Amino acid sequence: MSLAAWVRRARTPAPAPVAREYAYLEPADLFDMEIKDDPEASPVLCCTGDPAGAAAFQALWLKRIAGTGRYAASVSVRGQGGTPAADGGLEARAHDLVQAAVTVPRQTVLIGHKEGAAWAALAAGRYPAAALVLVSPQKVPKEPPTPVGGPPVLLVVAEAETQTKEVQAVADAYGIAPLTFAGSPDDVFKGAGAEGLLDAILSWLARKE
Amino acid sequence: MQEYSSQAAYDRGEAVCVIGAGAAGLIAVKNLRENGFEVDCYERDTVLGGLWNPQNQHSPLYPNTHLVTSRSQTEIPDFPMPDDWPDYPSSAQMLTYLTAYAKHFGLSEHIWYGSEISHVEPVEGSRFEVVVKPAAGNAARRLRYAAVIIATGHHWSPNLPSYPGLDQFRGTVLHSSQLKDPSRLRGKHVLVIGGGNSGTDIACEAAVNAASCTHSVRRGSWHLPKYLGGEPGDFALARVGGRPKFLRRFLTDRLLKGPASLAARMGIVPEGKPFAEEPVRNGRYMEHVGDGSIRRRGEVARFDGFDVAFADGTEIRPDLVVLATGYRPKFTSVDPKLLGIQDESPYPNLYARMFSPKMETLAVAGLVEPGVGVLPIVHWQTHAIAHWLLVRKSDPERAANFRVQVRTEAEQDTAPAGTSPRHRLAVDAATYLASLGRIIDTLEQEPAK
Ligand SMILES: Cc1cc2nc3c(=O)[nH]c(=O)nc-3n(C[C@H](O)[C@H](O)[C@H](O)COP(=O)(O)OP(=O)(O)OC[C@H]3O[C@@H](n4cnc5c(N)ncnc54)[C@H](O)[C@@H]3O)c2cc1C
Ligand SMILES: NC(=O)c1ccc[n+]([C@@H]2O[C@H](COP(=O)([O-])OP(=O)(O)OC[C@H]3O[C@@H](n4cnc5c(N)ncnc54)[C@H](OP(=O)(O)O)[C@@H]3O)[C@@H](O)[C@H]2O)c1
Repeated sequence: MSLAAWVRRARTPAPAPVAREYAYLEPADLFDMEIKDDPEASPVLCCTGDPAGAAAFQALWLKRIAGTGRYAASVSVRGQGGTPAADGGLEARAHDLVQAAVTVPRQTVLIGHKEGAAWAALAAGRYPAAALVLVSPQKVPKEPPTPVGGPPVLLVVAEAETQTKEVQAVADAYGIAPLTFAGSPDDVFKGAGAEGLLDAILSWLARKE
Repeated sequence: MQEYSSQAAYDRGEAVCVIGAGAAGLIAVKNLRENGFEVDCYERDTVLGGLWNPQNQHSPLYPNTHLVTSRSQTEIPDFPMPDDWPDYPSSAQMLTYLTAYAKHFGLSEHIWYGSEISHVEPVEGSRFEVVVKPAAGNAARRLRYAAVIIATGHHWSPNLPSYPGLDQFRGTVLHSSQLKDPSRLRGKHVLVIGGGNSGTDIACEAAVNAASCTHSVRRGSWHLPKYLGGEPGDFALARVGGRPKFLRRFLTDRLLKGPASLAARMGIVPEGKPFAEEPVRNGRYMEHVGDGSIRRRGEVARFDGFDVAFADGTEIRPDLVVLATGYRPKFTSVDPKLLGIQDESPYPNLYARMFSPKMETLAVAGLVEPGVGVLPIVHWQTHAIAHWLLVRKSDPERAANFRVQVRTEAEQDTAPAGTSPRHRLAVDAATYLASLGRIIDTLEQEPAK
C-alpha cells in the first residue's frame, strides 16, 4: 500500500469489530502418518462470497490443503456463517479478512472465491500475503490496489467465464493470464471439478515456493 | 554461522546488518527481507521487543504503562493489531503484538541474541566491518556487510539532572526507568520531577498508591486527555488534519477548547502553540490535581538532607524522588561523525532523519519523536531505506539524483520550535510523513529506460 493510502485509512473510522467465525486444520489434525507439517510451506486462508462462509471449505478444501503439509484456514466475514452481521461494505469485509490473516501463525496465502476474491484483492493491498489466489472473481474494483510485498498472483476461472468482461478486467489489472478449471464457478466445494481446481491451485503454490 | 576469530572477518556479501531487535529493528528486518535482502539482526539483550519487553535489562517500563497513542495510530500499517483490543493497549499487549509480528514473518531466525555490536567500521568504500562484542571467554566476531541499519532506540540512557545537595540526599532517588514495581510507591511521600508522559503517568500512579504525591515541573506543557470529541484524541486530531485548511484551525480549536480551559483552571499555562511539542496525553492527571491527590510545584532548587527546596522557597520532605526527566540518545558502536554528531551534543544530524550524511549505506531507524505513533513512521522509513539500497545497486544515476533530493528534504526540515534540548528529535508528523512520501515516490518510480 502506498503511504498516502495508509494515511487516508488511518484517518477513517475502523469498521465495527465482530467476533469472526474461523475454521482451521493443521496437518497433524489429520492423524495420518504420511502427512508431515511442512514448516517452509505458507499457510492458506480461504474466503468465499457464498453465505456459508468458513464452513464451505470444511468438507474438502481444508483437509486437502492440510494434506499438503500446510496450515489451512477459512473465515466468515461479517454476515456470513457464524459471524454476526455488521455495517460496512467491501472495505469492512476486507478488514475482516486482514484481521483473520494476522492471526494465522505465519505469513499466509489468501484465496478468495467469487466476491471473496474482491475482499482478498483489497486485503492484499494492505497485508503482505504470501500469495494471492482469485477464484472466479466477482466485484473486484476496476483498479485493485497493488499487492504489498509483491506476492505472486493466480487467477483461476471456470472455462465458461474466460471471455467475460469481469475476468478480462481482473486479468488486465494484474497483468496475468487466467488458468481455467472444468466445472461451474458455483460448484467449487465438492465433486471432481472442485478437486481438480484445488490441485491446480496447490501445485501452482508449490511451484512458487 | 560458525565462530570467527578476531583476525578473520567473515564476509556476508550483500547481506544487511540490523542492530537492535526492538520495534524498529524488527520492522527493518521484515521490510528488508520483503525486498529480497539477506539480513542479520544483532540484539544485545536476550529477548526481542526492546523497551516493550520488561525482561530487557534497559526497559524503561514503569508500573501500569499503557500506550499514549491509540491502537489505530500505533499499529504497523501492514500488520494491524487485533480489533478486539482496547483503544489504548497495555505495554504487555504491545509486547504480545511485536512477538506475533516477529513470528508471523519468521524474523527470529535472523536475530542473534546476546550479541552487542561494539564497533561498526567503514571498509572497502561503502561496506562495513561489524564487531560483535565477545561473550565471556569467546573471541570477538567480525563480519562484513553491504549496509548497516542502526535501530538501537533512544529511550535507554537516562537524562539525569543535577541539583545542589542531591548526592547527600537522605531519601531514595530513582530514575523513572528504575521504578518497575508499583509497591515501591506504597505508603511513601513521593516527589516526581519532570512533566513529560512518564512523569505525568507516574504522578497518577503515586496519587492512588502513595501516601502523598508532589509533582515538580519546570514549565507548563500542553495536556490532552486520551479522548477528544468521543474518539481517541490522536485519531480525532489526525482526521482534522485531513480536512480543508480553512476548517482545520477551527476544528482543532474546538477539540482543544475543553482541555485547554481545564488546564487553565489547574493553573497550567502551556508554553508555545499546541503542537509545537509532543503533548502530555493523560486524562486522569487533571482529576488528581483537581482532587488534591497530586500537588503541583515548580522547579526544584536544591536537596538538603531529608528535604527538597523548590525555587519558590517552599520545602517538602519526600521518602522517594522519581526523576522522570527523560532520556538522551546514545550511540556506542559507530563513529559519531558518521551520524553527523557534532561536538558534545548527543544528537545526530541525518538526511531525512535516517540517512547518514557521510556513508550511503548507513541508516538509522526510529530516531524521531513524532508526537504520534512511532511504529508506522518506522515502517515507512525502513520501506524507504530498503528501496534506497535496491536503487543504489541497480541504477547509480537515479541514486545520485536521489541523494540530491534527500539533502534538499533535509534542508527544508525545520524541526518544530520546541524549547528544550529533548525536542531535537521532534518532527511534525504530517510534514515528516509528506517528506517520506516524496522520498518513496522517487525511489519507486520506474527506472528510465
Ligand atoms: C515509557 C515509554 C512509553 C512509550 N509509549 C509509546 C506510545 O504510546 N506510542 C508510541 O508510538 N511510542 C511510544 N514510545 C516510544 C517507543 O520508543 C517506540 O514505540 C518504539 O518502541 C521504539 O523502538 P526502538 O526499536 O526504536 O527502540 P527500543 O525498543 O529501545 O529497542 C532498541 C533495541 O536495541 C538493542 N540495542 C541497543 N544497543 C545495541 C547494540 N550496541 N548492539 C545490539 N543491540 C543493541 C536494545 O537492547 C533494544 O532491544 C514510548 C517510549 C517509552 C520510553
Ligand atoms: N505511556 C506512554 O506511552 C509513554 C509514557 C512515557 C513516555 N513515553 C514516551 O517516551 C518518551 C520519553 O518520555 P519521558 O516522559 O520519559 O521524557 P520526556 O518526554 O523527555 O520528558 C522529560 C521531562 O523532564 C523534564 N526535565 C528534563 N530535564 C530536566 C531537568 N534538568 N530539570 C527538571 N526537569 C527536567 C522535561 O522538562 P522540559 O520539557 O522543560 O525539558 C520534561 O518535562 C517520549 O517520547 C514519550 O512520549 C510514552
